[in-house]
Amino acid sequence: MGDMQFIISASPHIRSEESVPKIMYSVIIALIPAIISSIFIFGLKSLWLIVTCTVVSILTEYIFQKIRKKDVTITDGSAAIAGILLALTLPPGFPYPAAALGAIVAIALGKHIFGGLGYNIFNPALIGRAFLQAAFPVLITTWERPLTWLSQEVDAITIATPLAMMKFDMKFESLEKMLIGNIGGSLGETSAIALLLGAAFLLYKGYIQWRIPAGIFTSVVILGGTFWIIDPSKYPDPLFHILAGGMVIGAFFMATDMVTSPITYKGYWIFGIGIGILTIIIRLFGGLPEGVMYSILLMNAITPLINRYTKPRILGRK
Amino acid sequence: MAEDTNRSLYYEFVKGLWEENPIFRMLLGMCPTLAVTNSAVNGLAMGLATTFVLTCSSVMVSLVRKIVPSQVRLATFIVIIATFVTIADYFLKAFFPPISKQLGPYVPLIVVNCVILGRAEAFSSKNPISLSVADASGIGIGFTLALVSLGIVREILGNGSIFNISIFGEWFEPWIVMLLPAGAFITLGIMIGIINAFTIKKTGKGVCFGCSIGYKLQEKLVTAESMYLTPEELEAAKAKPEKKEKKKKEG
Amino acid sequence: MNKTVIRMLLVLTSVGVISGGALSGVYKAAFPRIERHRLEELKRAIFVVLPDAKNYKTLEKNELKVYQGIDETGNPVGIAFEAKGNGFQGKISMMVGIDNQFEKLTGMLVLDQIETPGLGAKIAKDKFQSQFKGLSISPEITYVKNKKPEKPNEIQAITAATISSKAVVKILNRQIKEITETFKLN
Repeated sequence: MGDMQFIISASPHIRSEESVPKIMYSVIIALIPAIISSIFIFGLKSLWLIVTCTVVSILTEYIFQKIRKKDVTITDGSAAIAGILLALTLPPGFPYPAAALGAIVAIALGKHIFGGLGYNIFNPALIGRAFLQAAFPVLITTWERPLTWLSQEVDAITIATPLAMMKFDMKFESLEKMLIGNIGGSLGETSAIALLLGAAFLLYKGYIQWRIPAGIFTSVVILGGTFWIIDPSKYPDPLFHILAGGMVIGAFFMATDMVTSPITYKGYWIFGIGIGILTIIIRLFGGLPEGVMYSILLMNAITPLINRYTKPRILGRK
Repeated sequence: MAEDTNRSLYYEFVKGLWEENPIFRMLLGMCPTLAVTNSAVNGLAMGLATTFVLTCSSVMVSLVRKIVPSQVRLATFIVIIATFVTIADYFLKAFFPPISKQLGPYVPLIVVNCVILGRAEAFSSKNPISLSVADASGIGIGFTLALVSLGIVREILGNGSIFNISIFGEWFEPWIVMLLPAGAFITLGIMIGIINAFTIKKTGKGVCFGCSIGYKLQEKLVTAESMYLTPEELEAAKAKPEKKEKKKKEG
Repeated sequence: MNKTVIRMLLVLTSVGVISGGALSGVYKAAFPRIERHRLEELKRAIFVVLPDAKNYKTLEKNELKVYQGIDETGNPVGIAFEAKGNGFQGKISMMVGIDNQFEKLTGMLVLDQIETPGLGAKIAKDKFQSQFKGLSISPEITYVKNKKPEKPNEIQAITAATISSKAVVKILNRQIKEITETFKLN
């Protein structure tokens, strides 16, 4: 009995042949359709943006683990995912040095300050994105028109995202355009189809929790729909809410992050519904056009609380 | 005897600069620290105003320390501090209106800066004027240095300039977040982290509230803990961490 | 027991009296300077928004206070007034100049604002403020984004700070309407 050795490690706790790297690489595979569609929509520069963020993320992770004299785990893919996800939330014309700064902040302040993978409270990619949003508010809201590289136009023309158009101009973008991705927006939020494809793969594999996106979409449809019924000329329909902005990528790839989401079934629902409600409130009544990022970060912050109050009852106890 | 006073005068002055720096070490007076350090000039002005209030009120508190009954000492100290804060506020308004406008409500808010009441309560109410002045000006200058260094970092990154002199070319895209409250928290956190990292290397242990920081009062070391705890509680508190350390070693 | 109470009273009272006395002295010494700065600032702001004015007089009506600008010969050149309202983060206050016919603005100067530095704070920059010079106010001021204004009553909003720009326009429209209704008749 005294010889029993307990290995205490951080989440994600995985037994069976599934391992952290395997899940992480599956997520990367699931992101490939979105990456390809972003390259198709915005040209090669979106590839370079993704490469920059990914390489810098991995480098930062390496340096931090060396400084802290920990095992170097850059091959497990978690830093690469943070980099790719960060790049997918950036606008296509975003300068590379600024993107690299975002990647450094994401890994350093979002992850290793707390102790590395498994200890971080917030989604690292979103920390990086939130920092960039606060640091370069003009650059990060300069959206290029999609498909300009096809028509050989010299100047990339900036346009507004569907959400910004809704907020400031009271115009609603057509849903078909938003589904395919022929709209202004960040790399990974434009084409909903590509993201759904990857999400379907992950759901099939069981690597992401369906309850979280389900909670998000249910609350978005109900709350967004309520406002739409009240005044359709002022508020967009629920489908618009789901397809616009970072809703799809946020719901499937960011909110479902194993480390920063709750660990109980009831917790998944609370977490998802909370994100949905906050997003609708920020989008319709807040100062900013998009609210998915802040909603996820806020719900990340109260995840420990959710875990505490949804702790399952131990069998035989009241 | 004279030599002795001199040495402790020097000690009381120097300790505030680094060893007991109110911001980097004691984490006191966070409100002005985070709110007005968005540029080096603002940090400097705030620091100097605070130093002025701190030094003057220390003199007054030390002067009246024997006639003020202990029941009303806090009220008395606050009145004294508020008086000097108001004087500083009028002075800035009359002679440096742009700086006064920049600092806004944070000048009157010096009244509630815990560094000042803390020094009055912990030091100048128990020490003669000369020592109190040394202590207050040391702490005040330490406070100013910390505010200016925070202000410099935030101004460089957030505005691309030092003391309003632009240092980068056109290519520099300012990090606006550094001028916002979030930037203050990030900068302060990282700076304290770096300072602690170096201190730990040097002393072999982290610096924390009440660990080793304190000042000598009549040959006795007064720490933050000994100020607020009774001798029995202090003994109990001392005993606990040792046990923990033992356990760690065994484990 | 009683002795301590009396001592407490004595000490507190005397500290209060001394500090009050000291403060009133300092106030007396500083007040003229502070007041002079305030008036200078006001004057400077009025002359910025009413470029033709050489002097001004204060008019008051229905609890509204405006400053009428006067040129060398004593003719009124327009009215300046303070406009205040909520911005993105806090109160914005501006000095606005309007011509005698209440048709055009002669200038706008932001006096106080706490908008986001580098973004909304650009409303206090010349580039934004100068747009209001000669701006038509009929039927009301509007803003456009990311393109040059075409109509005489349009201004260009600051990129990525639409909310602050919008707030300025909203405050101005409301205040201009109020001022026009009150002062246009005379």
